[in-house]
Amino acid sequence: MAFLARLGAPVRGFLEFLGDQAHLVLRTLRQALLLRMDQLGVVGGQTKLQIRFTGLDALWLVCGTALLLGAVTLIQAFSQLSGLGAENYIGVLMVLIILRELGPLLTAVLVIGRSSTAIAAELGAMQLNGEVDALAAHGINPYQYLLLPRWLGVLVSVFALVVFFDATALAGGFLVAKLKYGVTFGFFMDSVRQTLSNRDFAATLLKVLFFTGAITFHACHFGLGIHRSQTEIPQAVTKTVVSALVAVFALDGVIAALFYF
Amino acid sequence: MIDLRDLALDAPDGRLLLDGLDLAVPRGGKHLVTGPSGSGKSRLLKVIAGTERPARGQVKVGGRVIWPGDGALALVGQVRMGFAFASGGLLSNLSLRENIALPLKFQGMQENDLRARTEQALDHMGLHPVADLRPHAVSAAARKHGNLARVLALDPDLILLDDPLDGLDADDRATALEVIRRWVLDGDKTLLLAQEEPGSFLEWATGHLDLQAHFIPLETP
Repeated sequence: MAFLARLGAPVRGFLEFLGDQAHLVLRTLRQALLLRMDQLGVVGGQTKLQIRFTGLDALWLVCGTALLLGAVTLIQAFSQLSGLGAENYIGVLMVLIILRELGPLLTAVLVIGRSSTAIAAELGAMQLNGEVDALAAHGINPYQYLLLPRWLGVLVSVFALVVFFDATALAGGFLVAKLKYGVTFGFFMDSVRQTLSNRDFAATLLKVLFFTGAITFHACHFGLGIHRSQTEIPQAVTKTVVSALVAVFALDGVIAALFYF
Repeated sequence: MIDLRDLALDAPDGRLLLDGLDLAVPRGGKHLVTGPSGSGKSRLLKVIAGTERPARGQVKVGGRVIWPGDGALALVGQVRMGFAFASGGLLSNLSLRENIALPLKFQGMQENDLRARTEQALDHMGLHPVADLRPHAVSAAARKHGNLARVLALDPDLILLDDPLDGLDADDRATALEVIRRWVLDGDKTLLLAQEEPGSFLEWATGHLDLQAHFIPLETP
């Protein structure tokens, strides 16, 4: 029995965690619907702050990473496929590797590293300082003031960052293709356009939606779960990163299987 | 306004702190809660505010059951409450002025009224010189006054004050006492004030709850 209990404990813990995540998401959605017009200004202000931190402040990091990744992907691909007419597969390579997979995935990883850690640490500190209690006690709904703006901010930011990531990675790939093989811009874009389909757009949108949910609500769960001491904050941050990364990779696998398997 | 039935509170370490607590405070009542340090005064106020869950029992505020239930969320938009915390409680990323204005903004108050109410509260508590500083940059007394100013600006029906005079010098004490006296004289306000010793508050209190009678002290080996 002790062995079975040992096996069951992590499963129960995982199911409890999933239940808590579902509770957070549903409550936040419900409270979003209950927002009054005169409260939109406050929630909008908080959302703008989150967009500035998660989106604008991370733009150069995301674009730099994407430029290098796009260039390196084509350098590596050409080094293996040279002589086999590799330039004809430029579009396929860019769409398959960058736009379908690495764009949303690496953007999510960068946002987890920068923003979900910050959200977990900030909410943890607020919880310890009694700030979350103070909000609730003064009629300010924490779901509307804390969770909803963070989710919306991360959603808008990740969507914009994925668009910038994809565009900059394509630019990096084009640069290599032009410098090494003299490929023209028209040929490069035609090649990409022929491979790209509406299914890719739908899959990317779905990934952005689910990734941002995982990024935000994992951070909120671990951040708001802090109650006793400051030493819990770094632990919560670590748990957020690990848990959000696992969730994002798992969701990526599920969405890829649904759309392309 | 406040109705507690067979309430039990546990400490953060899980041991039972208070047991079998019943309390009824009518609308407009002024109640004093006293007890030794660590007897659960702050915890009781937070349970009544709906921000902490009791171990057992029922809590009703303004006729609404908040425990067992959704806690403070059940009161949002229903009962206007103000809570001056013993420590902390102000948002660290906002200035004192913004902290005072935030609950009013969330209520959807017009900009002109909001500004007037905020400035009046700052003025009353003598906080104008530090109004644009964040809580970490001001003295503990100013943070305490900031908590009172937020309640003052909100003009709530139910006021919870946790050790409002603790750590204040004579001048700051006089300012805080003047504000509390104003709430005491207002027949519409329900006031619950917690502190270690009753002091002069017994003179105006319409009820007194001594937590000593319900307190379960730590067993010494």
